[in-house]
Amino acid sequence: MKRRTFVKAAAAGTAAGVSSFAILSSGARAQSKEIRMIEAGGASGDSVQKGYIDPLKAKTGINVVRESPNVFGKLRAIVESGQTGTALFELGAGGLEQAVKLGLVEKVDWAAVNPAPMFPEAKHEYGFGYQYYSNIMAWRKGVKAPKTIAEFFDTKAFPGKRTLPDAMEGTLPFAALAAGVPLDKVFPLDVDLALRKLNEIKKDVAVWWKAGAQPPQLLKDNEVQYAIAYSGRVVGDPAIEVSFVGGKANLSYFAVIKGTKPEDKAAAWKLMHEMSLAENQAKAAAVISYTGPSPDLDALLPKDKLWQFPTTKQNKGVQFVEDAKWWADNGEAVNKKWEAFKLSL
Amino acid sequence: MIGSSPWTRRALAAAGIFGLVFLTVPLLIVIPMSFSSARALTFPPPSLSLRWYETFFGDPRWMEAMWTSIVIAAISSVAALLLGGLAAYGLRRGTFGGRDWAEGNFMAPLVVPTIIAAIALYLGLAKIGLLGSFTGLLLAHTILHVPVVMMVLGVAVRDFDLRIEQVAWSLGASWSYTARRVLLPNLWPSVFAAWIFAFIGSFDEVIVTSFIAGRYETVPKRMFNELILEVNPTITAVATLLIAFTILALAAVALILRRAGKSTLVEGVTAG
Amino acid sequence: MRSNGFGFVAPLLVLMIVAFNVPIIYMLGLGFWDKSRGFSLAPYEALADAPVYLRVLGNTLRISLIATLANVAIGYPLAHWMRGLGNRARMIAIALVILPFWVSILVRTYAWIVVLGNAGIVNRSLQWLGLTEEPVPFLYNELGVTIGMANVLLPFLVLPLFAAMIRIDDRLLQAAASLGAPARTIFWKVYFPLTLPALAAGTLLVFILCLGFYITPAILGGGRVPMISNLLDTLINQIPRWDQAAAISTILLVVTLLIFAAYRRLDRRASGT
Repeated sequence: MKRRTFVKAAAAGTAAGVSSFAILSSGARAQSKEIRMIEAGGASGDSVQKGYIDPLKAKTGINVVRESPNVFGKLRAIVESGQTGTALFELGAGGLEQAVKLGLVEKVDWAAVNPAPMFPEAKHEYGFGYQYYSNIMAWRKGVKAPKTIAEFFDTKAFPGKRTLPDAMEGTLPFAALAAGVPLDKVFPLDVDLALRKLNEIKKDVAVWWKAGAQPPQLLKDNEVQYAIAYSGRVVGDPAIEVSFVGGKANLSYFAVIKGTKPEDKAAAWKLMHEMSLAENQAKAAAVISYTGPSPDLDALLPKDKLWQFPTTKQNKGVQFVEDAKWWADNGEAVNKKWEAFKLSL
Repeated sequence: MIGSSPWTRRALAAAGIFGLVFLTVPLLIVIPMSFSSARALTFPPPSLSLRWYETFFGDPRWMEAMWTSIVIAAISSVAALLLGGLAAYGLRRGTFGGRDWAEGNFMAPLVVPTIIAAIALYLGLAKIGLLGSFTGLLLAHTILHVPVVMMVLGVAVRDFDLRIEQVAWSLGASWSYTARRVLLPNLWPSVFAAWIFAFIGSFDEVIVTSFIAGRYETVPKRMFNELILEVNPTITAVATLLIAFTILALAAVALILRRAGKSTLVEGVTAG
Repeated sequence: MRSNGFGFVAPLLVLMIVAFNVPIIYMLGLGFWDKSRGFSLAPYEALADAPVYLRVLGNTLRISLIATLANVAIGYPLAHWMRGLGNRARMIAIALVILPFWVSILVRTYAWIVVLGNAGIVNRSLQWLGLTEEPVPFLYNELGVTIGMANVLLPFLVLPLFAAMIRIDDRLLQAAASLGAPARTIFWKVYFPLTLPALAAGTLLVFILCLGFYITPAILGGGRVPMISNLLDTLINQIPRWDQAAAISTILLVVTLLIFAAYRRLDRRASGT
């Protein structure tokens, strides 16, 4: 750690001292001085380091060693092979539900975490929802701006090529919205209705994207004019305009891997506590424009950038939150329909 | 080809040059991009700078990843070449039963989808306690690249006239002497091709490595993380450095051979 | 060789069994065995009932075949031309075949977007020359996937083929010429048959490597070219149905090994051993 960041982190530590004192007194159990986590890597990993790991280390001396990437198969392989060296695993909402189904993760001891206030969906029985990221509509500066998802899908009134995610859960909910389903009724998803809508516009979809870096690239190259993209990829780009209206708010969780040693767990709860603090989330949001689960975060974010974040007052209400449970129960059947649709392109 | 018409020769040259151009087009894009000042991959570069080289040399994580990648590729490719080369020889010249089964089995790591192989290797290495270790990584990379070695060397051994070997043995040469003085000099280009495939295969491998490498970072593992989450032009600088290094190495070898009075690499080695 | 040759194979065999065979049999076994039900063919029955996954497999085989043929069409003339070059030119050609290896597949994929995209170098040149008004759609279709895969895999065909070609003794060809055979006959009756084993092996190698491609088809195909690796990723990492992933992998393994066995049989017949 650089000296300057260390000083800053230490200062933040004293600020949050009151709440961490509460846990110290409540649980005098043995805890590890170092635990391991598997996370997404890249800028997201750096945000975890700066936002949460550095403050934790400054406050408690506990170090967290990061490893990436976090593909689901790895979690299952860890549990099947009985490797207990790693305590925390980052999972998407869908991945968390699947992990619960297969018994790969432990319950969160919320009493031990003792979190600061957080959005209810982030406080999962088995996971700590630490990072919101959105799929939103984006378009090239200069083309006619859509106000709703229905307009985004209206290729007659808003002519131009589209790029949509090459993933059923990234595309079907938007198609349902475009077909007239209201924002709060997206789930349970009417898959056939959504596929009918997609069939209407599929000839205008130039690219079904796979990597998050593709949509901004395609927009800038004028390969497409409209995109559904990860918000963090497109906000703040001078060549691209965006709207969170009808966007999909996703949530990334940290969960404790099944069979983790009690002393590692104790340290993991401490890290989760750090993740619940708004001031730490603001530090993470300075690294990547995705936000933590604190409702009090807005005041700590830069005023001129509030429109860029998934959970600010102006943005959270106009989006829908993915129903991961529904996907866990129906994903397999929907995937067959999705693959058949892809083969028809 | 002997006696072919000038037209045939011209058509062949055109086809050959087209092939080379097709292969090298990406280089013509990547090398200028590595000197770009832009924050993301953009072509043409808005202006020139060395910032991505500074990033590479200034970030110990990149340097470390590069070193790890090269060491793993160097050791595992030689191991794959030795094990795979011996096995290819044994399978082509041998008479023991079950050769077809053994060969099919050795091909399996290439044929089984990588994601399945990755999980299998994870479980296997965990069982023998090598998960996340350097040895485990080497082991996995070796096994993964044996099939390529076997494909290339199997054909080379098969092509090579058994009678020449038999003459050497009948003159009392040991197997290892025959291998060194008769087989290797004749098969050298194939051995080189097999080795470079294994080396590059290892150097580029990302799926299995992400599963089993634990905290070890390799260049592709770093790149992969970066490319899914953010496009980082440092990777173009890495590529350009490797290209420059290869050209220098090849030129040096050519120079040394010329000093030694042999005009090409191929000739130099085949002349043994 | 004086022994039966098993000693040459043994070291690799031991390594494979310990670190690869046992776990891979476990993984593929998931397609046949279930903790609660014991032996079952349910994953295979599910595949037969909903053949969409098998169609993805069929599509993968088809694209791989196309890319492999493109590779042969470009690679054989290239290797043949390289054989006829002078020493220095030959060195340079070999270097040019090897150098692209250093550029990661991900970056090369991006380079193709720069070259062949709608606003790419080729399309801008074509429009500037007035050869076309609308940009030619090179990318985000099967053509794009074929170009990308052929580019990555070409050296895997060219280098072994070239190695086989330079082993061919020029005196053999001269002898044929001195007997009055025309160039075409020498090529097809003498030269080509001598390169055939290496061509067959290289082609098969490229084909098998094609089957496993993941990133390039996903990006250059614009999502329109479903490949099996992509589907397996979904089945392993998203909807965790490892049993179905195991079943698909087993089918893929069997199909590929059958092709390999056919190749070995032809090869053995040709070499007369």
